[in-house]
Amino acid sequence: MRGMLGRLAGTRYGIAGLLIMLVLVLLAVFAPVLAPYGPRQQVGISLLPPSRAFPMGTDNIGRDMLSLVLISTRASLLIGVTAALAALLVGGTVGMLAGYWRGTTEAVLMRLAELFQILPVIVVVLFAIALFGSSFWLLIAAVALAIWPLEARLIYGQFVNLRQREFVAAAIVADMPAWHIVLREILPNALPPVIVQVALDASLAILIESGLGFLGLSDANMVSWGQLLFPAQTYLQSAWWMSVFPGVAICIAVIGLNLLADGLNEVVNPRAGQRLVGLPE
Amino acid sequence: MARYVLLRLLQAIPMVACVVILVFVLLQFTPGDPVQAIVGDYPVPPAFRAAIVLQYHLDDTLPVRLLHFFINLLHGDLGYSYQQQEFVATLILQRAPRTLLLAASAFVIGVPVGIGIGLISATTRSGNVDRFWTTAVLVGYAIPGFWLGQLLVILFAMQLGWFPTQGMAPVFSRASGTAFVLERVRYLALPAITYAVYEATRVARLMRASTIETLGAGYIVTARAKGLSRGAIIRGHILRNSSLPVLTVMGYAFGVAMGGAVLIETVFSWPGIGLLLIEAIRNRDNQVVVGVVLFISLAVIVMNLIVDILYGLLDPRIRAGR
Repeated sequence: MRGMLGRLAGTRYGIAGLLIMLVLVLLAVFAPVLAPYGPRQQVGISLLPPSRAFPMGTDNIGRDMLSLVLISTRASLLIGVTAALAALLVGGTVGMLAGYWRGTTEAVLMRLAELFQILPVIVVVLFAIALFGSSFWLLIAAVALAIWPLEARLIYGQFVNLRQREFVAAAIVADMPAWHIVLREILPNALPPVIVQVALDASLAILIESGLGFLGLSDANMVSWGQLLFPAQTYLQSAWWMSVFPGVAICIAVIGLNLLADGLNEVVNPRAGQRLVGLPE
Repeated sequence: MARYVLLRLLQAIPMVACVVILVFVLLQFTPGDPVQAIVGDYPVPPAFRAAIVLQYHLDDTLPVRLLHFFINLLHGDLGYSYQQQEFVATLILQRAPRTLLLAASAFVIGVPVGIGIGLISATTRSGNVDRFWTTAVLVGYAIPGFWLGQLLVILFAMQLGWFPTQGMAPVFSRASGTAFVLERVRYLALPAITYAVYEATRVARLMRASTIETLGAGYIVTARAKGLSRGAIIRGHILRNSSLPVLTVMGYAFGVAMGGAVLIETVFSWPGIGLLLIEAIRNRDNQVVVGVVLFISLAVIVMNLIVDILYGLLDPRIRAGR
């Protein structure tokens, strides 16, 4: 793992992504210390433009936008990462079962994954929220419900390939239990491309949550970048800063995760993107 | 060919059935009273409650309920929105053409632009040009569509006043003929551009990857060996072969687009399917939510079917493969 981090830092995109994400995580962790005011604290007149006292201005109820954007880093990153991991857990389990046992298990599980992929991700999430509500955990479950097929198909493909390799045949001949072969023999070899997908899923989850927040359908008890954009819609005319700064934060996080994924991809499969023949000059 | 089309049609039917079952199963998990889950958070008059219990056979066993869920759908009955006092199917049919207009405009602008950027990015001689476009596409991809919409509204509608801020048409208009079309285009411009940026970045990423893969193909070696010029190879061999996978994905994306760009329609108050879904969710008008979700799935499946059939027409290898 350490070797991987080193190689990641050696790629052009990887290092940029790593730095961006590191800064964002530090900001999230130390947000309460760094933010000049609390997220519910009224500190001035409402809708003040950016100034020295309030670098990102104030919102419609007189809260400091800088503090809000900083605090929001926590919820947005947390939802992104947790939803991606939940999708990995569900999709990974399905992919492993389908890819190792094949047959009926494979047919049922992979058709189910395809079924979920018919509907657009945002519609699946909205449907789940419409039926079950949107507290923090339900939100994560809804996002994971929408993106698990991506993970399932990837891990399934890996398992189908690795299943035919000699080391698996050797393990079967050695009479190792199935769980050992799946979890200790195949899984570690299947993981590298999966890590790339997890980074992409996290960026997707952040985008989805900001969309929900913007629609006013995210968990009302937390502050996230998307939720800051919901009231901003009403004040586009008088307070551009309410919309601009949270949006920039979302972009930075999504770019960071995508650069990280590009870097990881370069490490995991170094030959990808190499031009084999090319064009004449 | 007829056999291929028939086969694909037959494959699509179980898909539709499965989606319906999936929606039905999710509905069963909804907490609380099933009638309330159908109607939403409204006081239900006893007569209406009895009608719903009868129509959906709510007093019967699970398989019977599922059967009647199907029967209702086969009759084209998506239910009745108690809140809007209108049939759900009527609501959807009212909104669908508007969503179609927005999506079609966005694809007409976005797809060619995306293909162009992807092609330039993958075939350029200059590393800097590639880096510029790759970065631009990444930034475009990372910008949430609805936020880009807000920025465009702030700049072009509020500061410069070139376009209206939202809606699809003025509340009151006497324009006719060309003036009418121009008026509508002004309303369409900002949402269509926002949506086109979203599609173009996705197309550009796909196109770049697909072109790079094509560059490694054997027929490119042959073309080089024949001494064809750079431009001739790009036009004659790369553009077509690399666009095929992109067009498949875009066919699928267009089906998805029939569901309405939920967020973009909300920013611009564009009264399409997406906005209908959001309004229904906000008002807990679940009958409409379920109807829209089923409509979107059907649109995606039908669109995939059309793409597959077109593909079979264009490429004989696919027909023979089945």
